[in-house]
Amino acid sequence: MRGSAFDEISFFSAIAASGARALLIGRRALVVLGLPVLTADYDFWLHSEDIEKLNEATRPFDLEPNRDADDARRVGRYVLENDEHIDVLVSGARTTVDGVEVRFDDLWSRRTSVDIGAAEVFIPAIDDLILTKRIAARPKDAEDIRLLERLKEVRDE
Amino acid sequence: MSDHRLPSSSAVQATTLFSNRRLTSEEFQAYVDAPVSEAEREEALRLIRWFKKRYPTPAERLAYARRSYTRWRTADLSVRRR
Repeated sequence: MRGSAFDEISFFSAIAASGARALLIGRRALVVLGLPVLTADYDFWLHSEDIEKLNEATRPFDLEPNRDADDARRVGRYVLENDEHIDVLVSGARTTVDGVEVRFDDLWSRRTSVDIGAAEVFIPAIDDLILTKRIAARPKDAEDIRLLERLKEVRDE
Repeated sequence: MSDHRLPSSSAVQATTLFSNRRLTSEEFQAYVDAPVSEAEREEALRLIRWFKKRYPTPAERLAYARRSYTRWRTADLSVRRR
């Protein structure tokens, strides 16, 4: 059964130790911040120069990339998978549904470090996370934005 | 009484494609700006406060998310086997 054997803390720890510039985005980042949403996958936005670092770090978890690094850079994304599914965005910039350019370097410079015990996870600032939700622009991304706005209210209490 | 009949694979595929579609800018903004009643807002805030109190650390929240997904998958498979 998926979700039983995978050591999540070790996984994040290996990524942190690799030095890869990897931002946890997507619903897993919402969970870290305090939103109880259902999610199957992990989503990262990775600096395109760090693909090899991430692949090397996740190899002990039997995660296999579905593209080689050059192909991933050309396409702008790839997947690491076994029983787990890790979506990795490697574009330098993406555009939101309303035409705003979102640059990895900007998000990285404003990142938040989260201590998860034996490891450190980097996530975008909440407003940047909202911007990333405007890239895919699916109905569930809109719902996530509404939840993130509620989360900001709780954080301000 | 429910007969637990499952939708066809083509119906599931069509629903997945529909729910994962990229909205237009106007559609997306309409979703984001849809009015929220005070009751809905309070319910969302209550849920967030509960989650953060029950699982105060990010590591605990991540573990909860994995357990929650496993439970959901188990329930889903259970229905499919009926």
